[in-house]
Amino acid sequence: MKRRFVLTSLLLVLVLTVCLSGLAASKAEIVNGRFVKTRSITVEIFDRGNPGGSKPEDNFYTDFIKKGMLRDHNVKVTFKPVPRWTEVEVLNNLLAAGDAPDVCVTYSYPTIQTYANMGGVLDMAPYLDGNKELLAGLWDLLGDSNIYWNRDPEKGTIWAIEALLFQNKRINTFVREDWLKKLGLKEPKTLAEFENMLRAFRDNAQLLLGKDADKMVPYSTSFDVGWRNDHLLISFVPESITEKERYVYGFDDRRLLFPGYKNGVKKLNEWYNEGLIWKNFALYAAGDKTEDNMIKAGYVGAFMHNWDYPYRDGQEGIHANLQKLVGPDAAYIAVECFQNNAGIYRKYLSAPIDRKVFFPSTNKEPLASVLYLNWISKLENRKFLQIGEKGVTHEVLADGTIQTKAVTGAKIMNSPNNIDYTITINGLDLGDTDLNVKSVALGYGGVDKRFIEKAYKITSNEARYGKNYNVGQIYAEEGMGAVLPEKRNNFLIQSVVAKPADFNSVFDRGLQDYLNTGGQAIIDERRVKYEQFYE
Amino acid sequence: MQTAVASSFMEKHQKTIKYLKKYWTLYLMLLLPIAYFIIFKYIPMTYIQIAFKKYSIVQSPWQMPWADNNGMEYFIKAFSNRDFIYALRNTLWLNVLDLVVGFPAPIILALLLNELTFKRFKRFTQTVVYMPHFLSWIIISGMALKLLAPGTGLVNIVIERLGFASVPFLNDPTHWRWTYVFLGIWKSVGWNTNMLRAFRANIDPQLYEAAAMDGAGRWRSMWHITLPGIRSTIITLLILSLGHILGSEFDRPYSLTNALVISASNVISTFIYTNGIRGLQFSLTTAVGLFQSVICVIFLFAANALAKKFGERGIW
Repeated sequence: MKRRFVLTSLLLVLVLTVCLSGLAASKAEIVNGRFVKTRSITVEIFDRGNPGGSKPEDNFYTDFIKKGMLRDHNVKVTFKPVPRWTEVEVLNNLLAAGDAPDVCVTYSYPTIQTYANMGGVLDMAPYLDGNKELLAGLWDLLGDSNIYWNRDPEKGTIWAIEALLFQNKRINTFVREDWLKKLGLKEPKTLAEFENMLRAFRDNAQLLLGKDADKMVPYSTSFDVGWRNDHLLISFVPESITEKERYVYGFDDRRLLFPGYKNGVKKLNEWYNEGLIWKNFALYAAGDKTEDNMIKAGYVGAFMHNWDYPYRDGQEGIHANLQKLVGPDAAYIAVECFQNNAGIYRKYLSAPIDRKVFFPSTNKEPLASVLYLNWISKLENRKFLQIGEKGVTHEVLADGTIQTKAVTGAKIMNSPNNIDYTITINGLDLGDTDLNVKSVALGYGGVDKRFIEKAYKITSNEARYGKNYNVGQIYAEEGMGAVLPEKRNNFLIQSVVAKPADFNSVFDRGLQDYLNTGGQAIIDERRVKYEQFYE
Repeated sequence: MQTAVASSFMEKHQKTIKYLKKYWTLYLMLLLPIAYFIIFKYIPMTYIQIAFKKYSIVQSPWQMPWADNNGMEYFIKAFSNRDFIYALRNTLWLNVLDLVVGFPAPIILALLLNELTFKRFKRFTQTVVYMPHFLSWIIISGMALKLLAPGTGLVNIVIERLGFASVPFLNDPTHWRWTYVFLGIWKSVGWNTNMLRAFRANIDPQLYEAAAMDGAGRWRSMWHITLPGIRSTIITLLILSLGHILGSEFDRPYSLTNALVISASNVISTFIYTNGIRGLQFSLTTAVGLFQSVICVIFLFAANALAKKFGERGIW
């Protein structure tokens, strides 16, 4: 009996020590949110090659992050630059070489999915769920909705979390305000008025550009036809499009497969053959600055682009250059002219998701990495990254509104509101809705706020937002992430520049090729899965 | 006993040992290039098996599972992919054009340079024609855009001012092929005269003197002395070019292409880039690469055998 007692108590002591030491080990790893031993992680950062920019991996703002992470979590952060405009290609190379940063960010979910299937991506679920109490900042910002956005409905894996698209803005149509005045035209409110305006630009090149009349481009666009003509193209989509159609055809984020799209492209084809569109747009590849330079020099009458495009980049941007090179009246203003069949200025905006953040399987510090995401998601940290230093990159006005200022030199922000560093949020957030709206309008140093307010309003006017239909992986999308968009761009460009008589055949052949290459398989699988989970 | 064995060994291999004693430094020097080929050319070949296996980024190629259809899945996939068939056709098209137009160019240029009398002018011309060889294709494509774009390119501005319609050098598939070939010649012709001119130097000058005595003009001596003198070099170069008939450069078509000419400019190397590296289908594109290499080797052997049949030396 005695012996038994001794044995049992010994066993109990043993079990207790093992348990305690086990707990202590995991507890000892982190004390008060700080690692006991210094950890190191690498983080991807977009390199925009912006004129006058600082080194994206080493500047005032990276120093702020590095110091903060070392202070709060004892984690050393190193940034790894990846070119913004070829991010998917470069990231692919890095992943394939086993050289990718510990914290990766991309706009392409199919890329992540493909690598996940090969075992190249870490499942974030255990690190997120297991450390919830340490990740309050991340949860406050993204909520369950964005964190669990990509959670597999059956297996529960999370390959990537979705950054928050805080201001869900997309595209605007810009026209030269001073040209409208010069020609005595009113701001266009319909497609017909917009077209007539372009024709007026073309026919009055001598008046508008003088000796540079031969450089006149009434309307410019780029190789990315879908993005750069979105408002026009989308206005041909019938109002009756259903949620199911939006989901099934929505894998192409340029909305190529939405019904009615072809008619929009046909309109572009007409414009091209009328001499309204920049003749050589097809020859210049992604990242080429030729078009930007034409716009800055004042040769371009109208274009569509990111909702705030001409107002970006401060002194190096389009607005400042236009004012310098052409005159103080020269400016682009956002206009609203493209109604759909119901007479609504409909926009199709995505759900509030933005970039996707993931950890490759080469990441040996998943805990330090989720702490990093948490750190940059905390309001005080991301606020500093977004608006910078008081008196340098912003002023606080009497009513509390933040007015950001464009600076050059060491404290320059390489991306608007340092979006490239705040990888969990896209859009200015000061923690107060009212303040946000007022501050965004003031957020473009050197640009009159009436331009911003108008652009801000129009870009999401009468918008329909996307919803999350989480049906797990669509297997047909695998390996198609780069091939299909390239096919789409190529045949859209060919359709735009085709002779009017050839338009139908060029477009139809291109679309057929797109569908045969893998588009149709994706449509079919999406339809089946949608019906399985949602009908 | 041992010494006897050793001495008999010595006797047997005396010649070899003597030879090695004399030339061992040369063999030592060979070690480095051999190591280079083993490390960078032969070891990577183990990855050829990706073509027959389901690729995974985290497994070694020995562990990856075999692809369907007895490992031939990706070859079947490639040949049922229309883009691949077009890429194959375009690669052949462009390479045949390059061969027909581009191959004689350096020979003609070498002969012309050979006939130049003023030494200084000759040197100057040589330098000028060499230069483009050192430019990268990215730079050349930028220059091509500035010079040849319709409406804004210098060449087209001149053509328009002369009253003609602008020529779509870069934005029409047929024209683009010629632009591609012409730029290729422009870049490489000077450099390729090098080897020919080096062999020209081996021709005995007495032959020219004798021919001159017999009353042969420049044309005659070029035809009967210079050309036969460099014939074996020409044949060697031709065999090597035939070995590349299905090979394709990457930077040249990739930097010169645009969406309007994709039907002519999509070649095997760009197909591999789009589908393999960007599209992450590594097995598929390894299969394509392997196919390409096998065809090239077949052409190389065939051309060599043909050359030997016609009494030439061949390359091995």
